[in-house]
Amino acid sequence: MTNSVAPTLVSEASLARLRRAAPALLLLLALALASLLSGSTGGLRLASPDRSHVDQLRRVIGELPSGSLVLIAFDADLGTYAEIRATTRAAIDDLAAHGVRLAIVSFTPEGRAIAAAERDRIIRAGSADPPADLGFVAGSEAGLVRSIESIVPSGAAGETFDAVRQRGGGIGAFDMVLVVSGSDISARSWVEQVGTRLPGLSLVAIAPTFLDPELEPYLRSGQLTALLSTLREGVAYAQAVSAGSASGPGPTVGPLPMLIGMLAALAVLAEAGFRRLGRRGRRPARRRARP
Amino acid sequence: MRRSILTGIVLVTGPLVLLDLMIVNPSVHGAAGAVNELLVLLAAAAAVGGGATLVAHHVRNLAAADGDSAASIVVLLGMAVILVAGLRPGSSGSSDPAVLWLVAGLLAPIAASVFALLFIFLLAAFRRGFALRVRETSLMAAAAAVVIVLLLPVGGQAGDWLAAGAAWVRDVPLGGAFRGLLIGIGILVAVSAARSLMGLDADDE
Repeated sequence: MTNSVAPTLVSEASLARLRRAAPALLLLLALALASLLSGSTGGLRLASPDRSHVDQLRRVIGELPSGSLVLIAFDADLGTYAEIRATTRAAIDDLAAHGVRLAIVSFTPEGRAIAAAERDRIIRAGSADPPADLGFVAGSEAGLVRSIESIVPSGAAGETFDAVRQRGGGIGAFDMVLVVSGSDISARSWVEQVGTRLPGLSLVAIAPTFLDPELEPYLRSGQLTALLSTLREGVAYAQAVSAGSASGPGPTVGPLPMLIGMLAALAVLAEAGFRRLGRRGRRPARRRARP
Repeated sequence: MRRSILTGIVLVTGPLVLLDLMIVNPSVHGAAGAVNELLVLLAAAAAVGGGATLVAHHVRNLAAADGDSAASIVVLLGMAVILVAGLRPGSSGSSDPAVLWLVAGLLAPIAASVFALLFIFLLAAFRRGFALRVRETSLMAAAAAVVIVLLLPVGGQAGDWLAAGAAWVRDVPLGGAFRGLLIGIGILVAVSAARSLMGLDADDE
């Protein structure tokens, strides 16, 4: 007589794996559904109720004369760019809507990767006048200092490049610099290396939240003209820009996926904490039970 | 000998760059510019050196069948593809369309996907942290929970109060601690720079 086991479609190990992965899969499913439903989110609000930083940036951009030269220093990093992506895109749209001539440069390899992707997106969207590509400048902060003298690549040709060359060819040729900050080169590097050498240059920044404590003092001292450094300020800014634009708001972060993610995080923290407390509570009882 | 060379370099370059910041003089500016060019070259050499070390490490891994061979092959292939696209005859380097496509179409989305998983991994790390170091993890989890609650995207008056609380946490305790650290680091850097300029080190004390 053989002791045969009936074959099962799913093995025990597979079931255990599926059970372990189920919470993460359910969370991803909920986030995907919430992203689709984020149009109807009554009672939820992601945009910051404090609009002072948003108004400040809008005023600085609004005061730029048409045809001004603005440099976008794209040095975001891949880890935090998701937080400032919508804000950066809204700022580029805002600048383009005010008729400024844009140029884009990066001093970090990661920043260059993101800048290339964003410029490619702008071109694919059918923009008649995409930002002039000043490329990647090597040397990190030393490269930044060198660019004060000369930032235009030698072979570059085009109206914006010529305008920069006519005004001296360096960073000083620009009326304003928008620093899209990351962890390697942030607005702080610009204030320290460029602001001290070109005190008349207007520096505005978009930064992920972790840089806010570092950059806020520069805003208060006037070394930064404007700063958006939290997701909620970014959402408020994107909404303000889209409210005055005929092209629509574009993709922005919705409050519902954010809420679901936050509640899931709170639930996991609470579950792990209470489970640990429960184990601690049971331990003395076991000891007492021993002979 | 090595110490005196380093001290000599610092003694010449440090005051030169400081002078260039403080006074307007074409000669000083030119000399400081030359030092800056050397720094750019140094950074480029460090980057090339880092790349070469990475290649050597993965080639060694493959030769010795040590570690994750598939990962080594992917890294080496990725580097080769980017180098060929950027250095082939007729390429315009980092602005070449092939390089831009590889970066925008492959590198950026792949990296974004990896970082998107951080949320899940961070929560999993918290769960494990509770099993390993209860006190420290509890403190971190409590602080994280408070911040998450303050940042909940709720509308109305409650949302305004939460947002005001989040701004206070960011500006006062977090900002204060962070700026204190920055000031401390700044003082340490200034002291160590001054010590280098004066040629002092621990042996002189």
